[in-house]
Amino acid sequence: EDAQDLDALTLAKSYFDLKEYDRAAYFLKGCCSQKAYFLYMYSRYLSGEKKKDDETVDSLGPLEKGQVRNEALRELRVELSKKHTARELDGFTLYLYGVVLRKLDLLKEAVEVFVEAIQALPLHWGAWLELSNLITNIEMLKSLSLPDCWIKDFFMAHMYTELQMIKEALQKYQNLIEAGFSKSTYIISQIAVAYHNIRDIDQALALFNELREHDPYRIDNMDTFSNLLYVKSMKPELSYLAHNLVEIDKYRVETCCVIGNYYSLRSQHEKAALYFQRALKLNPRCLGAWTLMGHEYMEMKNTSAAIQAYRHAIEVNKRDYRAWYGLGQTYEILKMPFYCLYYYRKAHQLRPNDSRMLVALGESYEKLSQQVEAKKCYWRAYSVGDVEKMALLKLAKLHEQLNESDDAAQCYMLYIQDIFSCGEQLEHAEVSTALRYLGQYYFKNKLYDEASLCAQRCCDYNDARAEGKALLRQISQVRDQVETPSADLFTPLSNNNTPVRRVSPLNLISFTP
Amino acid sequence: MASVHESLYFNPMMTNGVVHANVFGIKDWVSPYKISVLALLYEMTSSKITLPERRRLNKLILPLQQGPDLTLGQFLKTVEECCPQTAYAVKLRLQEMADGELKDMEYFFSTLPTPFSAFDSEAHKTSVVGLFMRHMLLAYNKLSFSQVYKLYKSLQHYYHSHYAKPTDGQVGLPALAADDSEMDLTSIEDTVGDRVDKEELDAPLHESELRSDGTPSRGPLSQKQAEYFLARQAYLLKNDENKALKPAALQEELNNMLKFNPDFAEAHYLNYLNSMRVQDIFLSAHSLLHYFDRLILSGNEGKSNGDEGYGRSLRYAALNLASLHCRFGHYQQADLALQEAIRIAQESNDHVCLQHCLSWLYTLEQRKGSESTVLTQDSVKMAAHFCLPYLGSLDIQSLVQQGAMQGKAAHKLMDALKDTEILHWKHSLSELIEISLAQTTSIWRMYGKSTMALQQAQLLLNMSSLEPVNFGVHQNNTEAFAVALCHLAELHAEQGLYNATSEIFQHLKEQFPPHTQHSKLWMLCDLKIQFERHMNDRKYHLAEPLVKAMSALNKTEGLYRKAHVLKALNRSTEAYSILQQLQVHCEKTKCTEIIIRVMLSTAELHWESSGFSTALPLLLQALALARQHHLQSLASETILHLAFTQLMLGVPEQALNVLHEAMEPILAHGAVIDKGRAMLLAARCHMAVAGFKLKGQGHLDLQLAALAVDSLNEAASYFSKLKCKERLRDVHYLQAQLYRSLGQTSQSNRSAMNFRLLDQELQSPAPPVFMQL
Repeated sequence: EDAQDLDALTLAKSYFDLKEYDRAAYFLKGCCSQKAYFLYMYSRYLSGEKKKDDETVDSLGPLEKGQVRNEALRELRVELSKKHTARELDGFTLYLYGVVLRKLDLLKEAVEVFVEAIQALPLHWGAWLELSNLITNIEMLKSLSLPDCWIKDFFMAHMYTELQMIKEALQKYQNLIEAGFSKSTYIISQIAVAYHNIRDIDQALALFNELREHDPYRIDNMDTFSNLLYVKSMKPELSYLAHNLVEIDKYRVETCCVIGNYYSLRSQHEKAALYFQRALKLNPRCLGAWTLMGHEYMEMKNTSAAIQAYRHAIEVNKRDYRAWYGLGQTYEILKMPFYCLYYYRKAHQLRPNDSRMLVALGESYEKLSQQVEAKKCYWRAYSVGDVEKMALLKLAKLHEQLNESDDAAQCYMLYIQDIFSCGEQLEHAEVSTALRYLGQYYFKNKLYDEASLCAQRCCDYNDARAEGKALLRQISQVRDQVETPSADLFTPLSNNNTPVRRVSPLNLISFTP
Repeated sequence: MASVHESLYFNPMMTNGVVHANVFGIKDWVSPYKISVLALLYEMTSSKITLPERRRLNKLILPLQQGPDLTLGQFLKTVEECCPQTAYAVKLRLQEMADGELKDMEYFFSTLPTPFSAFDSEAHKTSVVGLFMRHMLLAYNKLSFSQVYKLYKSLQHYYHSHYAKPTDGQVGLPALAADDSEMDLTSIEDTVGDRVDKEELDAPLHESELRSDGTPSRGPLSQKQAEYFLARQAYLLKNDENKALKPAALQEELNNMLKFNPDFAEAHYLNYLNSMRVQDIFLSAHSLLHYFDRLILSGNEGKSNGDEGYGRSLRYAALNLASLHCRFGHYQQADLALQEAIRIAQESNDHVCLQHCLSWLYTLEQRKGSESTVLTQDSVKMAAHFCLPYLGSLDIQSLVQQGAMQGKAAHKLMDALKDTEILHWKHSLSELIEISLAQTTSIWRMYGKSTMALQQAQLLLNMSSLEPVNFGVHQNNTEAFAVALCHLAELHAEQGLYNATSEIFQHLKEQFPPHTQHSKLWMLCDLKIQFERHMNDRKYHLAEPLVKAMSALNKTEGLYRKAHVLKALNRSTEAYSILQQLQVHCEKTKCTEIIIRVMLSTAELHWESSGFSTALPLLLQALALARQHHLQSLASETILHLAFTQLMLGVPEQALNVLHEAMEPILAHGAVIDKGRAMLLAARCHMAVAGFKLKGQGHLDLQLAALAVDSLNEAASYFSKLKCKERLRDVHYLQAQLYRSLGQTSQSNRSAMNFRLLDQELQSPAPPVFMQL
């Protein structure tokens, strides 16, 4: 059969490659081999899609645009379903049948057909990818019966990344590397993306750099890379990346996103927005660009356009937490703390373990003077691993406001521990505030040793020096009066970074009068 | 600066990255229907038509131009009604185009009189017709080559579908048929391969788009059709929910619409209203926020007022959110949202919005059960200052309600209502007129003047609405109507007209189906009436399950009724504790009516333990309270209790004196059962005064005994009206005793026989007759 159809097939394939789908389909009409049949159907499908896209541009009215659809789909479905029931479809045609079903919004059937296609032809990655788009949660994933093939591991890793189960994904990829895929650029890029998702920036950056060494002309995933560079404010690297990508291909969505990020980092937000728009023109369903554009409009203080952009992002993908978060921020800027609660909550729902949403929620609650809720949020933010190290400080201040001095002291202590243990110097760190409060707190509770220690540490900071000295003086005065000098008062503690650590929160409470 | 950027870099017409020259502003597109209208206009200008026909056609032009697209059948029918000759000409012209070639359509457009050249015809460039023609010509000339071809194709389809399906004129039927064919393709699975034959595949989807007339249809609607659909549904939701689409169907329709045009903000708002209807907080909050997110963008359209555009919608967004939370009973959330709205409104000096906020604020305070009179008074003043009659009189109505609850002088309340009434009629605020009438009904009922209440309720129900009748809907689905009907039902039940009552409930059930917002009103009312009936018949086992249903609707009422049932079942301790609990609760919420009732019930409990003297101070307190609040019916009820207590304490003369005071209002306004009870009590007092004893046969004051006989007879007639056999049995017993002591044996025997018959029928041992009122 194959030999019989070879001529027609070759001719049609050439037409197909030239994107003359109707022509290809015409010459394949009589052929009966599986290959020819697939190409025949696929050409018809693509021809329908192409016509649909063309129609969209000149429809008769604004509301007509939604109704433009691929007219070929229904016919294809009828034919394919007949063959399907007769079990005459091979892996590729099954895949095509699945695509057609998905386009017709028959998702449940589409999943079944894709699974069938995968079982018939496990090495066709396209079918796996289509299937991955249809899986919404882990239970659904587990319920599918997939063939036990090595490619299944790739799929599972991909799915775990999609479902934000990063740990499992990383484990899978690691196994794959060990199994002999260590040179695969795909796996490296996926791992990098996974690290990006859990905000392990340094790891991700290292991997991307490695990736660029192996595969210098790669454009895929470079938008993620640029995001990382942006977060790290690495201007020269980002600029280099942008120029490099433009040289490779300037009309790619990723390229436009990188350039947008580049301009954004240089605070040229108008230009950045322009490039994100270009990215959207190239691919309207590019989620990241909508969100990023929203951010740009926020920077330009054009809140209404920002809201619009974020809404578009949500329309494309309801699970885009960044867009929800962005909407919340927009309303926060408009000074509507209650209104933005809803959006933050949405974002929090989607990323329950992301401290940024929790801190934002807490701040909004604080503005609404709902201290109880605010406290809960901050504490939760700290518990899930605070990225910006702000939650504890805010919590402590809140406790301070509410005159809950024990809790406040405890939080400040945790905060100081946190700051020092993470090693690097944070810009907004308010260690001095914490130390000042702790000093006063110990002093009030007559724990002079600890108080003096805190006061001494205070003197290391410019803004708290005066107070620290004053406190020290007070302490020595009180000590003189009481005259209970203890020999081991000034134990060498200066080289200890976290001086208050030795007092655990629990003792503290037992000491309080 | 922001607006400059926007115009440079953000194109609001860009959706999904594709720029459409659409969305805002341009709504006119050439469609086959519009071509038919053009053909009609053309025929009208070119041919000779008689004057009356021309007049009728002229009247038709505007609705045809502005209305949604019609099918060819409908269009031709309407034209035919005015002028058959023109209709025929139009049809010919369309046929010429549809059966001909593309050039025929092009020719048609080129022959249209250009408004710029025709100076003296109706198609002059500034006239309505001229404007329409210019729009159409402009839109046509803008079409690209393939668009023109598409237009021609759809014109052909438009024309031929009319002749292919002669039944097309019937509304609804084609819609269903089309639905089916589409459903086949998308949902039914197994058989589809065989069933979808070539013919169905050929029938393109455009069919659904050309169908119109506002009936629900799948598939896309044109902008105008969509707007019309939304407006109609929103109006129906407000005024007569039953006529609107079912929530699920409407939701589907909206989803469909949003799928085709996500920028259609109003659809989100309707979605919000629809979700409110089914009490879905998540979806309604989501849709509301979505609506305002969209609105903020389109608010920028009017750049003339600068930033005002979206600042305004921000305020109202917060306000709407507050009202949403308030409606779902999340008072704290509502409070926060409201504060936000107030703050934003204050910052931008928007007094009207502030005024709205203020009236929401006092509503919220009221709902939370705290004092809000001062706020309301402020609100009235502000509303008067900013000339907002609607809010002002709404405030006054709310004040009146509070005043009535707090026992303010009745004449002042009525005066205030009368004043607002003048305001309403002046501004023709029909909604408020209805509320006002319903409120008067309620107030009269509360005061215990059943006749006045009845009259006011009838007035409301018989009033013809001021609103122009839109979409064939009378506005009779509002809360005011529900309240009035409920009162009417209760009033009828009080008079023992249970048939009429059930008819009213039937009507209520139709008007306000169980899932709707105001259905709780009649449900509670229905339960109350049933409960009362069962209690009167002493069918406690039937009354008990009703209590649970009542508690679900209204906690206080449920608790009170529960105490009643427990009392009747002789579980006095439990009943007493519940009553105590209720009293504390009601004193907190200032619910005077319930407080008095609770006091009365407590007194009854005291009776059961023969603590008549302990009941007295309670009853006196209740009486004082009832008089202070002008609650006449409750006052009379209290007096009955008081008289009974005195009777039991052995001072029947005193009891009679007291009873006389209550007799008049009870006979004038009271329920039948109260009348019967009053007469029975009077008879017993008379008997006691006359020196009647159950066993012994002392000398009797004959005159008083005769009075007692009369009273008993009257009581018997009242009770038999209600079919209240238990009480009737008691009456017959007393009658028999009385007649016997008067020596009228035959009468006595007859009463005794009646008693015996009833006793057999009831089969329950008679409770101690003299221990109850």
